[in-house]
Amino acid sequence: MKKILSFYSLKYPKTLVYMLQSSEYKIDDYLQWVKRTKDFSQVAKRRQLDGTIKARLILALLWLVIVLMVALACVFILIFQTLWSVLVAVVILLITPWLISYVIVVPLYLGHVFIQKPREKRIIASARQIIANHKGLKIAIAGSYGKTTAKEILKTVLSQGKKVAFTPGNMNTLIGISRFTKTLVGDEDIIIFELGEERLGDVRELCDLTQPDMGVITGISEAHLSSFGTIENTISTIFGLQDYLGNRTLYKNQESQYVASKIKSGDDLAFNREGVNGWKVSNPKVDITGTSFTAKKAGKTISAHTGLLGLHNIGIITVTISIADELGLTLEQITAGLNETVPFEHRMQPRRIHGAWLIDDTYNGNSEGVRAGLLLLKEIESKRRIYVTPGLVEQGDKTREVHEKIGKQIAAAADMVVLMQNSVTEFIINGLNEAKYKGRLLIVDDPLEFYSNLEHFVAVGDVVLMQNDWTDNFA
Amino acid sequence: MNKTIAVFFGGRSTEHDISIITAIGSVIKPLELTKKYNVVPVYISKSGKWFSDEKLKDISLYRSDAIDDFCAKSKPLSVIFDGGMVFRKAGLKNKDVRIDIAFPAMHGAYGEDGSLMGLFRMAGIPFVGLDMQASVVAMDKVLSKQVAQVNGIPTPKYVSFSKTDFEANRDVAIKKVTDNLKFPQFVKPPHLGSSIGITKVSNVDELMNAIEVAAYYDNEILVEESIENLIEVTVPIMGNKILQTSLVERPLASGEKFFDFDTKYIGSGGKKGGGKKGAQGYSELPAKISKTLYDQSLTTAQDVYKAIGCEGISRVDLLIDSKSEIVYFNEINPLPGDLYLHNWRASGVSSVDLVSRLVELAEERFARNQKIETTFSSSFLKQF
Repeated sequence: MKKILSFYSLKYPKTLVYMLQSSEYKIDDYLQWVKRTKDFSQVAKRRQLDGTIKARLILALLWLVIVLMVALACVFILIFQTLWSVLVAVVILLITPWLISYVIVVPLYLGHVFIQKPREKRIIASARQIIANHKGLKIAIAGSYGKTTAKEILKTVLSQGKKVAFTPGNMNTLIGISRFTKTLVGDEDIIIFELGEERLGDVRELCDLTQPDMGVITGISEAHLSSFGTIENTISTIFGLQDYLGNRTLYKNQESQYVASKIKSGDDLAFNREGVNGWKVSNPKVDITGTSFTAKKAGKTISAHTGLLGLHNIGIITVTISIADELGLTLEQITAGLNETVPFEHRMQPRRIHGAWLIDDTYNGNSEGVRAGLLLLKEIESKRRIYVTPGLVEQGDKTREVHEKIGKQIAAAADMVVLMQNSVTEFIINGLNEAKYKGRLLIVDDPLEFYSNLEHFVAVGDVVLMQNDWTDNFA
Repeated sequence: MNKTIAVFFGGRSTEHDISIITAIGSVIKPLELTKKYNVVPVYISKSGKWFSDEKLKDISLYRSDAIDDFCAKSKPLSVIFDGGMVFRKAGLKNKDVRIDIAFPAMHGAYGEDGSLMGLFRMAGIPFVGLDMQASVVAMDKVLSKQVAQVNGIPTPKYVSFSKTDFEANRDVAIKKVTDNLKFPQFVKPPHLGSSIGITKVSNVDELMNAIEVAAYYDNEILVEESIENLIEVTVPIMGNKILQTSLVERPLASGEKFFDFDTKYIGSGGKKGGGKKGAQGYSELPAKISKTLYDQSLTTAQDVYKAIGCEGISRVDLLIDSKSEIVYFNEINPLPGDLYLHNWRASGVSSVDLVSRLVELAEERFARNQKIETTFSSSFLKQF
């Protein structure tokens, strides 16, 4: 009953606009969310509607439609004054919530087709020209995960001896990268492009725009599988970078099983934590302050400590060393750059909380990241290891398999696990049970309540790893 | 189905306000976060009326006079003893809530001194913390010192007398003190916690005034000889038969000031000491004392805990003469303010784990006591 009433609540129109806004105004994502929502009073748990002009205009439009529908129902009753007219009026009122959930997308669709798309086309064409004329070395980074980390390490190290520009934040779409090109001065030595992927063929399309001279494939996982359909589609999309580069330099992460399956034997540019392109890693160590190691190649030695947590980072760090060395940076410059690297926000970022260490990896959204995080949790010295996760979104038909595997990995690493209740919780529990997990399990309904009371759950000596995020639009 | 835990706080005690902080911050919230219990707040007003309402979980209610308005407008709780404990909230339709476990978060008189524990024993429900007999001993500083002495645990020299005796002949009482104890001394009301009414004195005039202050709060007066070369430490302990000690903590009071109520709860404590700010002012955690003294403190604290018959949780305060390296028992706190969460957390026990463990200990003791036969069948009545 409560679910049905939520459809007719006064908050319902605002909830629809919130759903549209949270879906980044992507019509397909919004419509899918609407279809699977049963109780509209439970939608906005994590955030509230941001009252932008766009949101307010759409909300006003919805209320206008509602008023018109009510007026139409009244007119029916007044004009015909029969039992049938009353019934028709009731039907009109009953279908209004359903109707407005679709009416809301009409102005967006029209705006997209007639205004946004032609404008974006012009911006992209102009950006392609800017990049074609730019003399700097263009490095493209593609992958389901690890792109931002790779970009940040490359930027920090290469900036020690070169002028480097890079796509900021998650500006990794056609329009995002095109807008970024407007900020280029023209005298940059290196431009680093992060290539995003959501749909089949995205990376190849982004390569045509960015025209890279070399590239890095950081890894492939089931992330965005809901959009790609199959892992093969994900692989072929990300290897669009290889299709574009042909015989030019492309580093590929051998530690990612889906990438490894495409690497030919003897490929010097296949990287892992043991090194790449002749660079050999020795003495790797990790603790809560970061990761240290030594890398050697033909008489050259680099001993560095980075603030990045986890031995899995060593692979991409050696790629950075290899690129920097090839570009002529001195060993001192490379070492200084590596020593400057610190954890990025919400990515394996440690901080103290009431004497415990909290590692925030909530921006991680893939199974490889989960595996790396749990390995780190196991490696770091602590009195008690606590793992917190809602699970991974967008795993498509691999959802059950991925989460059962995560459950098993958790069982091997954590003394206590906190799960945020949602559709994948039972799969993680299956994995925990299969692995005969002996630790404590806490399932929480309200993530915000848990996060804001974290101080009550931790004690000195604990290490808490928080991974993944589960926004309202994946409810 | 989740068990229902009633958390009792407030009360007709000088430590009414401290109890509110203990209950809301250190007991109710962590208990709720366990997701294992329905937590029912039971606020006992300064006039002794019992109230229960979800609003009572909100600390802002107590920051102003809102709590007085709330009490004036709300109906007090009725309690039914039907072989257990049931709260009845009167209304158009009475609402009954059966209590499975009681969690007293009260300090001082009526709450910490065994009175409330007696009520729970009568009701036949498990309750957290010390049992009645141990509470009575622990909350009587004179009695607890006598228990310590009998068990061979060192305690500072002391003299005690009743308020009536003091008022009947002040000179005799003062002479009893000065004949037996050297200055400086501490004058204490033996049944109060949180250092309320305690005064340090160095001469007879101060002694007289301090006894008057103590007599204002209590019917008995305790005068103790001060320990030379003093290091004050405290040790939180939990457990029934198997004990778990937390860290030895050294409160840092500035200069000559001892760790009184203001230092503990209101003032900034001895910042100069450079210690960390605990829930109760500044302290050194763990205490920077020799390993011998540290270990001896843990042993003495456990000896006291066992001698008094404590179960559940307590905090044992000790006095160390750093020259002679003798560890003296000072006093025991049956329910330390805010459960001494900061110390437990520092030793690796989170607040959620602490309250969960305390509830387990309460249930463990209750189950043990249930096995004891309390009735006896006889033909005695048949002869009448």
